[in-house]
Amino acid sequence: MTPKAPSIRSLPRTLQANALTSEALEAVHDQTLTVLEKVGVGVGGEAMCRALAEAGAEVDLSAKRVRFPREMVEEALDRAPRSYTLAARVPDFDLAIDGQHSYLAVDGCAAEILDHETGQRRSSTKKDLGMAMRLADALPEIGVLWQPMSARDAPRESQSLHELHAQFTNSGKHIQMMTAVTPGVARGVVEIARVVAGGSEALRKRPIISAFECSLSPLMYEDGALEAAQVYADAGVPCGFVVMPISCATGPATAAGTLVQSNAEVLAGITALQALVPGASTFYGSCATVMDLRSGAAACGGPEDLYLQMASAQLARHYGLPSAIGTFATGSKTPDWQAGLENGLSGLASVLAGADMMCGAGLLFGARVYSLAEMVLDAEIFNLLHYLTDSSAMSLSDSIAEVIESVGPGGHYLSDKHTLENMRQQWMPKLFDRLSWEDWESAGQPGPQELANERVRSLLSTHEPPPLDDGVEDEILRIIDAFERGDGGNEDE
Amino acid sequence: MSELIKSLQEAILTIDEETALRVTQELLDAGTEPEEILESGMTEALLELGRRWNCGEAFLPEVVAAAGIFERCSQLVEPALMAKADRKVSDKAVIATVKGDLHDLGKNIVGAMLKTVGLEVHDLGKNVPTEKIIEAVKELQPKIIGLSALLTTTMPEQEKVIKALEEAGLRADVKVMVGGAPVTQEWADRIGADGYAPNAPEAVRVALELTQVAA
Repeated sequence: MTPKAPSIRSLPRTLQANALTSEALEAVHDQTLTVLEKVGVGVGGEAMCRALAEAGAEVDLSAKRVRFPREMVEEALDRAPRSYTLAARVPDFDLAIDGQHSYLAVDGCAAEILDHETGQRRSSTKKDLGMAMRLADALPEIGVLWQPMSARDAPRESQSLHELHAQFTNSGKHIQMMTAVTPGVARGVVEIARVVAGGSEALRKRPIISAFECSLSPLMYEDGALEAAQVYADAGVPCGFVVMPISCATGPATAAGTLVQSNAEVLAGITALQALVPGASTFYGSCATVMDLRSGAAACGGPEDLYLQMASAQLARHYGLPSAIGTFATGSKTPDWQAGLENGLSGLASVLAGADMMCGAGLLFGARVYSLAEMVLDAEIFNLLHYLTDSSAMSLSDSIAEVIESVGPGGHYLSDKHTLENMRQQWMPKLFDRLSWEDWESAGQPGPQELANERVRSLLSTHEPPPLDDGVEDEILRIIDAFERGDGGNEDE
Repeated sequence: MSELIKSLQEAILTIDEETALRVTQELLDAGTEPEEILESGMTEALLELGRRWNCGEAFLPEVVAAAGIFERCSQLVEPALMAKADRKVSDKAVIATVKGDLHDLGKNIVGAMLKTVGLEVHDLGKNVPTEKIIEAVKELQPKIIGLSALLTTTMPEQEKVIKALEEAGLRADVKVMVGGAPVTQEWADRIGADGYAPNAPEAVRVALELTQVAA
């Protein structure tokens, strides 16, 4: 008998902090609209340029440049819904995107995996992706599944579909597509999702997948990106825009400057989508970071990232849009001090800022390497934050003065009735080391990597994901096969 | 096992002191042998708690609270027990926080945990002068004594107790284990203690090892 996967844990919106004063927020908004109006964005597809011109944008066709008047952006923000449900194949795993909860997403998309058995870094495979999904299925902290790493052993043109296949067969949770970025592949994705959901209307009613498109910073949407977003929106699949500028390289040198550019890129995507499919469910996404000035690498985890996370989530709240904020994704190469520090602060920043989706569980080395150990460690951080934000655990009972009186000065609470009744509210870490020095030594002085690896093995050895209905997997494979033979991804509606 | 014995166990395990004391009295009134109440009821409950502890299901406050109930039930059973000449004697442990030190929480936890493995624990309290410990050893003849010190300034008292045991000619009859936050295995070796444990669960293991050697 398959053990039932635990329900998804979300962080309630009980604590909140703002990185931007209202004046600063207004200035960011104003400069963003200036950028969208004066500079605009590059849009790769000619037909898309024409469609946006039709919808009210100012388009220079020869330069493929699309400029958005202020009113067009403001109208789009009015059209986009604040709340909706990201459904899941297993309805228990549905997520209410309502501004009241923060969910943790397995982030992507790494090209390599740190093998938890051999300790070696190597190219990631479809099997690895499936294993990561099975682990995520077992962890109550994980709510949303991106493609954490590429199925690099799958054919390139159908890689996203193979990834989706590995995801549907290994987890019942909501899947968010990040790798299907052309309209053809997006149609293949929608076709598979319809089979799993039980038809076009079923998928529209219960979107068990969502997607997002990325800008190419600075200020570009490649040919296919907005077209793919339209495919998803037409099918009733929520589609957001997640931008990933790197300050000093693909974004301005200041964090606030990168914030303005990020904001412009996200709003350009949302404005385009709302013009083409009014009222489409969408979200505001940012994984902005800075370039390390010596190595040229994306830093992923410094104070600028924390500011960009908090400010981006605040802007999304201001616009009345759900947010997906790059969180965790340490720059470190192993689950060490740097990883714990960066991800602990990053998790706190996102929850305080009110992010709806916190994206990043399991990534190392600035999102280039995936680690199952890091996934369970990030889940532990999220779990700690869950206790911090859980108002019931932190609330004060009326009678506490009486309890304190009954113990009195110099007494102890160890075996007090109040202790016995309330002690189980205390957070019990799974991966923190609280052993005595001697026990720690006799256990071989395990570090976070070893403790986490042990938990990964234990979860993978017992957890079975909820199976697909009979015949569904065959149908998925048939769609992939047809796609690979060149007759898939047709416009069927 | 009678229903009443079962409910005594249950009351101790669920930390329901009122019921535990009432059921103990009912058992005595019904003429139940005091050994049976002590062994099948009270001790068995603590042993079960010890099993739960080993599975990670029980927590320190429960063990300490259950041991407290055990203590108060014992006071009810004791008069009947003492009246019998042929009563069975379990291995005894004497524990104390040494002189000058008022920190007894760790010692209390160790005492509670020792009861979960069936040792008869005599807790002399905190700030206990060496002479009082020597007297208790003479009188109770324990298999083991546990000396707790939380301060670097009171640690030397542990050594004094060991010296005093030697001078009184009692050292060979009793095992000594030491503990407390600043205490280490190195310190234990230096002052000639037989055992050291960094925490209460480990103290149980050490105490069992030492009492079995002593048996």
